[in-house]
Amino acid sequence: MESRMKRPSGVVGWLKIILPWLLLAVLLLLPKTNPSDNLIRLLFITAVWTTTSLGWNLLGGMAGQVSFGFAVFFGLGAYTTALLMHAGHSPYFGFIGGAAVAMLASFLIGLPTFRLRGPYFVIATIGVTEAVRVIMNNLDVTGGSSGYRITEDQPFSQNEHYYSAMAAVALAVLVSTVIANSKFGLALRAIKQDEDAAADLGVNPYTTKLWVHAVAAGLTGIAGGIYARRAAFFYPGDVFAFQTGISILLMPVIGGIGTVWGPVLGGVIFGMVEEQISVKFPNLHLLIYGSLLIAIILLEPDGLLGLLRRLFRLFPTQQAKTKLAGDPG
Amino acid sequence: MDAVEYLDLLLKSLLLAGVYAAMAVGMTVIYGVMKIVNLAHAGFLMLGAYFALEMFQRFHIDPILGSVLALPVFFLFGMATHWLLVRWLPKSDTPTLASLLLMFGFWLVLQNIAYLVWGNEDQSILTPLTLSSVQIGQISIPKVNLVVFAAAVFCMAILQIVFHRSWFGRSMRALIQNPYAAQIVGVDDQKTARLTFGLGTAFAGFAGGLLGMLFSFSPDFGRPFLLRSFVIIVLGGLESVSGVALGAILLAILETFGINVPLPVYWHGWSFHYLPPSYQQVIPFALLVVVLLILPKGLSSLFSRKWKAA
Repeated sequence: MESRMKRPSGVVGWLKIILPWLLLAVLLLLPKTNPSDNLIRLLFITAVWTTTSLGWNLLGGMAGQVSFGFAVFFGLGAYTTALLMHAGHSPYFGFIGGAAVAMLASFLIGLPTFRLRGPYFVIATIGVTEAVRVIMNNLDVTGGSSGYRITEDQPFSQNEHYYSAMAAVALAVLVSTVIANSKFGLALRAIKQDEDAAADLGVNPYTTKLWVHAVAAGLTGIAGGIYARRAAFFYPGDVFAFQTGISILLMPVIGGIGTVWGPVLGGVIFGMVEEQISVKFPNLHLLIYGSLLIAIILLEPDGLLGLLRRLFRLFPTQQAKTKLAGDPG
Repeated sequence: MDAVEYLDLLLKSLLLAGVYAAMAVGMTVIYGVMKIVNLAHAGFLMLGAYFALEMFQRFHIDPILGSVLALPVFFLFGMATHWLLVRWLPKSDTPTLASLLLMFGFWLVLQNIAYLVWGNEDQSILTPLTLSSVQIGQISIPKVNLVVFAAAVFCMAILQIVFHRSWFGRSMRALIQNPYAAQIVGVDDQKTARLTFGLGTAFAGFAGGLLGMLFSFSPDFGRPFLLRSFVIIVLGGLESVSGVALGAILLAILETFGINVPLPVYWHGWSFHYLPPSYQQVIPFALLVVVLLILPKGLSSLFSRKWKAA
C-alpha cells in the first residue's frame, strides 16, 4: 500500500484531498443559505442511504461477503431508537443503542455462518429479513404490524435531522477510510481474494468477518435510527422490507464496491434518483435495478467509479505516463 | 390430538415433500456443477406457476400436463439464460460476488416482467381436482396433493435415470465430484454447464407449476420458496441429489407439524400453545441456523459418520 505513505502530487492528487473537505464545508453551510425544505429533505434521505451504503461496502466490497439482509439492521436501529426515546432517553443515545443492537444481531447471523466456507452466509441473509419481519409483525411491545410512532417533546427541527444525518455519513466515511488504510482492511481484502492464502498468512477469516459484519451493522443501525426519528412513524413492512435490503446493496454496486468513495457516489445517485424513478416509472423500478445490476456485473464490475477511472486513463497524467514508461513489459 | 390426526399430518407432509424435492433439485444440480447460488430460481418458480396458469386458461390444458410441458420450455429458457448471461462469469470453486449479484439482478428483471404482464394480484389455479378429496378410513387427502406428488416423484425418478445412465448425467456427476479431473478425461464443461443450467431451470419451472396448483401466487411468489430450496439443499449436503429428498421430507414435516401441533411452553408452569400460522415462514430459517450449527455438512454426513464408526 504505497499510496498510504505518498505525499499528494499533481492536480489530481491534491483534488483527492481537497474535494472531500470542500464537500463537507458546502454541506455544513448549506442550511445557512435558506434552501428549500425539499432540498434539505432530499439531502437528509441521501445521507441516510449513503451511510448504509458505506456500511454494506465494508462487508460486501472490502471482504467480499454479499449480504441481502441489511434491512434487519436498519429496522432494528429504527425500533431500538424509537423504544429508547419512548423510555425518555435522548435520541442520540437512541442511535448508539440502535447501533449496539444491530451489532448484536450481526453476531447472531455471523456466528453460525462465517465458520463455514461456501454460500451459507448469503443464504442466511436472505432468510433473516423474512424471519425478523414475521417476528416484529407479531410483537406486541412495538405495535406489531400496525407500526410504531415516535413522539418528541421538542419542536420539529429540520436542521437538527439534517446535521445528524451528515454526522452519520461523516462517521461512515471516516470509519471506511480508517479501515481501508489499516491492517484490518488489508486482512479484509486478503479474505476477498483468497481465504486460504489469507489464513496461511495469519489472518483469522472467521473473526475478521465477524467484526467487519458488526461494524457494518452498527453503521446501518445508526442510519436506521436517524431515519426513524425523522419519519416518526414506521412499520415492519417498511423498514424490514426485503426491498430495503436490495436498495442498500444496490448503492455500493452502482458506485463501485471495495472503495471508500464508490459507495458515496452510489448512495448520492440512488438517493437523488430513487424518488424520480419510483414516481415516473412505478412499474419499472425492479426492471431498471435488475438490468443495472446485470450490466454492471458483466460490463464494469467496479461500478461508476471504475468507469470514471477508465475515462481518466484515456487522458493519463504526467506521473502516470512516467510510471507506464518505467513499467517493464 | 390422537394417532389418526398425527398420521394425517405425516401423510400431508410427505406429499408436500415431493414438491419440495422437485423444487430444490434444480438448484442442487446448478450449484453442484457451477458453484453458482441460483437466486433467479425464485423467478423461474414464479414463471412456472404463471406458465401453468396460462396453459390452463388459454388452451384448457390440465395444469399437471402444463407443468410437465414447462420442462422442455424452461429447459430452452435456461440454456438461453446461460448462453446470454451466466457463461460470462469467471469460474470459481465458491460462489462469487459477481455470480450472486448477476443472478439476483436477473431475478429482479423476471419479477418485474411478471408484474407488467400479470399485475400484482394473487392468482390461483382451480381445477375440479382442487376441492375433491380421497377418503382413506378417517383420513381425507385432497386429490390435487396426490396428483402433484405423483407427478413430482415421476419426474424425479426420470431425473435419477438421466443422472446415472446417460453420458450427460455422468459428465454432470464428474464435474460435481472433481471439475479438473473431469476435464482431463474429456468432459466438455461449457456444454455440460449449459445443459445443467437448462435442466435446473426446467425443474424450477416444473415445480413452480406444481406449487401454483397448491398455493396462490403473485409475481413475488418465489422468495419464500427460494429460502426453502436453500434449506433443503443445505440439509442434503449442497451437491447430492438423493440428499435433497431427505432434506425435503425433514423440512416438510417440521413445517406441517410446527404449526399444527401444540408446543410445550414453560411460562408459570407447563402449558401447550399453538404456534401462530404466520410463524411458519420462520421455521425454514430456524432450521437453517440449527443445521449450520450442528450438521454443517448436511444430513448425509450423519450417516457417513456412523458408517465410518462401524
